[in-house]
Amino acid sequence: MKILVAMSGGVDSSVAAGLLRDAGHDVVGATLKLWGGASDSGCCSVADVDDARRVAQVLGLDHHVFNYTEEFEHKVVEPFVRDHAAGLTPNPCIECNRHIKFDLLFERAERLGFDAVATGHHAQIAMRGDRYFLARGVDDAKDQSYVLGYLTESTLSRLVLPIGGMTKDQVRAEAERLGLRTWNKPDSQDVCFIEASKGRESFLGSRIPLTPADIIDVVSGSKIGETSAAELVTIGQRRGINSGGDGERRFVTRVDIASRRVEVDRLENLLVTQHVFNASSLTFAREPLRDGDRVVAQWSAHGRPKTGVLRSGTSWRLVLDEPARPVAPGQTVVFYALDDPNLVEGAAVVAAS
Amino acid sequence: MSENLYFDHAASAPRRPEVLAAMEPWMSGVVGNPAGSHADARRARRAIEEAREVVAEFVGVDPTGVIFTGSGTESCHLALAGVVQRHRHEHEHTELIVSAVEHHAVLASAELLASTFDDVTLSIVKVDSDGVVDLDQLQGMLNEDCALVSVMTANNETGVDQPMGAISGICNSMVPGGTPTHTDAIAAAAWQHLPTVTATFDLISICAHKLGGPVNSGALVMRNPVPMDAVMPGGAQERGFRGGTIDVAAAVGLAAACAASERDRITMADRCEEFQTQLVSAFSLIKGVAVTARGARRLPGHVHVTVEGVASDELLFLLDQEGVRASAAAACSSGATASSHVLQAMGIAPELARGALRFTMGAETSKSDVDELIRIFAKTVHHLRPPA
Repeated sequence: MKILVAMSGGVDSSVAAGLLRDAGHDVVGATLKLWGGASDSGCCSVADVDDARRVAQVLGLDHHVFNYTEEFEHKVVEPFVRDHAAGLTPNPCIECNRHIKFDLLFERAERLGFDAVATGHHAQIAMRGDRYFLARGVDDAKDQSYVLGYLTESTLSRLVLPIGGMTKDQVRAEAERLGLRTWNKPDSQDVCFIEASKGRESFLGSRIPLTPADIIDVVSGSKIGETSAAELVTIGQRRGINSGGDGERRFVTRVDIASRRVEVDRLENLLVTQHVFNASSLTFAREPLRDGDRVVAQWSAHGRPKTGVLRSGTSWRLVLDEPARPVAPGQTVVFYALDDPNLVEGAAVVAAS
Repeated sequence: MSENLYFDHAASAPRRPEVLAAMEPWMSGVVGNPAGSHADARRARRAIEEAREVVAEFVGVDPTGVIFTGSGTESCHLALAGVVQRHRHEHEHTELIVSAVEHHAVLASAELLASTFDDVTLSIVKVDSDGVVDLDQLQGMLNEDCALVSVMTANNETGVDQPMGAISGICNSMVPGGTPTHTDAIAAAAWQHLPTVTATFDLISICAHKLGGPVNSGALVMRNPVPMDAVMPGGAQERGFRGGTIDVAAAVGLAAACAASERDRITMADRCEEFQTQLVSAFSLIKGVAVTARGARRLPGHVHVTVEGVASDELLFLLDQEGVRASAAAACSSGATASSHVLQAMGIAPELARGALRFTMGAETSKSDVDELIRIFAKTVHHLRPPA
């Protein structure tokens, strides 16, 4: 097969390219240029492109760099900023996967004559009957099925995930065996367009005015702190929040940017029994799930999955078997099959209440 | 599968055999340091001075005006930074004027100077839809604080010529004593008679590898003395303008490239102008393809187009697969096609600029190459833009 491998410069996609080459495929590597500004996250900087290019050279593969900076700005960065301004908590990596890596890149690959696109994601393509599904990678700690939760069957049928059946250690060992200089490169952390040295507040503050707010303890009614940017405070957040007068931890339960007010409460008062979704955001891997279907749900990249029942009605929601901390509006919940909890069934975005 | 169809001469021109022959003796064995006093040093020094005379003749200046540099970029940076830094020592305020379509070698240097020094201001002259400098705006910008005006002789992306006489006329007349001028002649050098075209400009930048010489070899040529400091002082080589041991092979290579280029220039320009006409006609017939600055005076070897609804990345990929080597705008440091500041300055819509392509020809380009290019380009565009 003629396969386009998306190479980030990291060890996973480096090994993916090597494995496909060894399997006898006609492999071409491509690195996406997404962010035009400074980057120290370990993904997509000029240094990372150089790593990807060198790996391709060592493997004997042609390598190209595709410029998607404009599309990335419009479809990932601007929505990220807008969502934060509206008090939501977006996941830009999911948006990038959805609109750029698994959409625009796939269309381009087809136009350029490729049979499939491959990436180094820790996930697997599973077949049930003649249908394609996304499944978890074998390395629990590195499983990336969550950020790929929106992929449609049409995409999955043209996607190759060579390293999903390997642990991270096995991937690094293979990279070393192939002679790749990225074998011990640290994994990229956080969002590629936010410099770790500067942080989200600095990035957002360069794009929108940030709103300072008082932190009010619902239990006592009194102010227990301040934040310089309400737009960056997330429902359920504990980090950066002082304890209450009773010595107990406090968690964010409500953010009202317009009123400059963040409310915090004790954990037990925070727990919710359901997550409500934006109906338009629901996607399903096979037939749409129905009212009453039981699923396993996960709402962060490496969070522990919980079980619940999907309900429709006035709004789509997941009624949890056990109360859990709230999920911030804008975040994604991925559903896995109850009878096969490695298999992705669908995904949805949590609605603002 | 076609033979290698090299249409990227403006990125780098094929190395001429006479250049290789000229450089070879200076690539191995003992090559004396030209600054020394012994026989080997003197031999090296002589080669450099002979090279200097050839380059001087190529540009039409006195040999004392030729400063060898390590690249065209370095030559441009020396002109801008060297002049600005000297000016700053003697003036309270320093203004720098460059056109909006300059190569990054000039623009980045200018921007760095303006952002580094509080007393340096950068003014950018806009261009019209063909990319030609707005002479009225330039006139309005000139004042006594101006240290330098830099406008390229012809644009490396589009091939469009600038009205050199008119520009220098304005620069000489607005302020008593005139304003020093610099021109990046790197793209123009292969196609135009520099002694004529840059006759009225004070500083001229050229480089070897656009003429079929080696990379890492350029020159800043001073037609008229302009107060200028060294950017790289070192051992005060090149009369104090550029420190560092002169690479004899590079200087000799530049000279050989200049001489060969001048020898071939008129024949090459005439031939390529016919090819250019043929390409422009053929490309214009392809739906969705527009020839950039079609009505403007352009270098004969350049054909620049935009393809509607298609990305340069994809065009280049497929062309490359068929053996056609071309480029789009400048490559940025990552190797990705950057969006062109030149096209933006010309007011070309981003959707069109996204599908920009540049084909540039040279001495070995043949009629059959051009015919093949037309066939392959049409096929590629049709593949990416299927008729509705």
